[in-house]
Amino acid sequence: MSERSADPALVVESLTTEFRIGGTWYPAVRGVGFTLGRNETLALVGESGCGKSITALSIIGLVPKANGRVTSGRVLLDGRDLLALGEREMEKIRGNRISMIFQEPMTSLNPVLTVGFQVAEALRYHTDLSLRAARARALELLEHVKIPSAARRYGDYPHQFSGGMRQRVMIAVALACGPEVLLADEPTTALDVTIQAQVLALLAELKASDGMAMIFITHNLGVVASIADRVAVMYAGDIVELAGVEELFAHPTHPYTEALLRSIPRVDRDALDLKPIPGQVPPITAMPAGCRYADRCPLRIPRCSLEVPPLVPVPGLRGHAARCWVRAGEGSGAEPA
Amino acid sequence: MTEPLLEVENLSKSFQVRRGFLGGAAGTVHALSDISFSVEAGEAFGLVGESGCGKSTAGRSILRLIEPDAGRVRFKGEDVLAASAAMLRRLRREMQIVFQDPYSSLNPRRTIGQTLAEPMTVHRLGTASEIQAAVRAVLAEVGMPSDAAAKYPHEFSGGQRQRIGIARALVLQPELIVADEPVSALDVSIQAQILVLLRGLQERRKLSFIFISHDLGVVRHVCRKVAVMYLGRIVEKGPVPAIFDEPLHPYTRVLRSASPVPDPKAKVVMAKLEGEIASALAPPSGCHFHPRCPQAMEVCKRVYPGWVQVSKDRGVACHLFPATPAPAAVPP
Repeated sequence: MSERSADPALVVESLTTEFRIGGTWYPAVRGVGFTLGRNETLALVGESGCGKSITALSIIGLVPKANGRVTSGRVLLDGRDLLALGEREMEKIRGNRISMIFQEPMTSLNPVLTVGFQVAEALRYHTDLSLRAARARALELLEHVKIPSAARRYGDYPHQFSGGMRQRVMIAVALACGPEVLLADEPTTALDVTIQAQVLALLAELKASDGMAMIFITHNLGVVASIADRVAVMYAGDIVELAGVEELFAHPTHPYTEALLRSIPRVDRDALDLKPIPGQVPPITAMPAGCRYADRCPLRIPRCSLEVPPLVPVPGLRGHAARCWVRAGEGSGAEPA
Repeated sequence: MTEPLLEVENLSKSFQVRRGFLGGAAGTVHALSDISFSVEAGEAFGLVGESGCGKSTAGRSILRLIEPDAGRVRFKGEDVLAASAAMLRRLRREMQIVFQDPYSSLNPRRTIGQTLAEPMTVHRLGTASEIQAAVRAVLAEVGMPSDAAAKYPHEFSGGQRQRIGIARALVLQPELIVADEPVSALDVSIQAQILVLLRGLQERRKLSFIFISHDLGVVRHVCRKVAVMYLGRIVEKGPVPAIFDEPLHPYTRVLRSASPVPDPKAKVVMAKLEGEIASALAPPSGCHFHPRCPQAMEVCKRVYPGWVQVSKDRGVACHLFPATPAPAAVPP
């Protein structure tokens, strides 16, 4: 058992996912790789279009087939490559061993089924519990996610719940079968801050009590700081920096991470030092040849526009990797801040 | 002290709500109850609060985009709520609004140039060529290339559309802009660009803002004074750093501690905040915040607390702060 728990919960290796636009395939996620430890929360953070959601959809096999495809990489759950599984086999894993929750709980729940039924349905699909046992377990789950007077609200419909409560129902559905990995895609973005704090507290508590691993996708670095153990910063389809949460905020190394931190208006300080990042993310159809951040980067050297930098350890910083010719890797001459 | 640019006194607005699609039994939502504040010339005033607190209704009522039920709004001494149609048209030249969603607030079938020229045409401000020159000038001011005038909204990104929304508000040279969540739909790096633009405009043009937002960090960056709203009422009001660094009202404290800060050492105190925001349709008795308040007392369930001015420029509506004498916890 102790040997087992030392294994990572999930390993993602050089994952590339492409989308077809006007007949041509363009990578939206490019060679993304990371290891997710058991009972660890990894935050994927970045702005719209950086590929954070596509990474999660690729892991759980939900990339829209009409115009998207995973072209390379492996997603290993207990040593088994999920990308090699057929849809039939993947259905047994999805919602059972890997679950996902989304930003808008109203569109993820079925409006014409009661919330209790939707939690029980997940159990009935993946286990051989009887209807009665599934109902009892579903009620326990609703209590587990702290729905007040859960027994009374078991038969209510999603529209009778507030946004925060709906997200709790979604979490109950996702946790029904005790997944090893939970993918949470901006689960608190649509919520008010006081409700967000409650849902974040609930997720942290559930992670500790159920011992699951979580990939938490968000654009909000404040949320990252309060929930993550490790952080992967994404930009234009690449992971540009990967580090422990305290390490990342103490020594942001990639110029994009650094700039992102300076562009947040903070409530805890007078923000006269707010510095926006000039320009915008290059469109997926016109990615530059070298580092994708080069055009906006104040540290740019000629090499940046020619070659894509690899994600390599930052000299002098433990467990910290960055994708930057200037700041990371051999010969970068980097001096850790 | 000179007269404030805008004075809002006891502004109230309620909406009738019908249940079911046959329009059965009606309820009343008190979206705004007796809110009062004033905005000095050249000042940015923040209205902050969570969904349904009435902050957007407040902004729109001031411009009479929604007709308020009661209260007084004075702009440069003129009574806005009593203004005739002609007077209102003149006043609106000086009071403009920027909306949250730059996608739905621009007409998709009009070029940017047409959209920006329209207010000037409506108000008969100059000849066609003068208007064209003004459009080019305002586009440059918000950091857009001049060829943008010939393009349509779909050709721009969200951040650029918000710049266009700001340009539309600026084109009439207003003195006051109501900005309703102007950066909420934008990515962080773009949000910072717009905030810097707004601050620059404020300094350069000596513009006044009513800045409506749910994001305390954004308000701290833009505003000098702020009013915190909860279920249609202002619960605390004062200078920005003081309100956020030493909040008095328990709701302000909760809001502040729940606002995430990008620093793992300052983790959000996963506050023991129980309960949800109450429905505006059936607000709790007494102080609306009492069911969630960690310091609720007996009196809070019965009586809505009166407004207490704790210092010259700071006030709060909470029974923890009796009218006299000023409690020791209050900063000067």
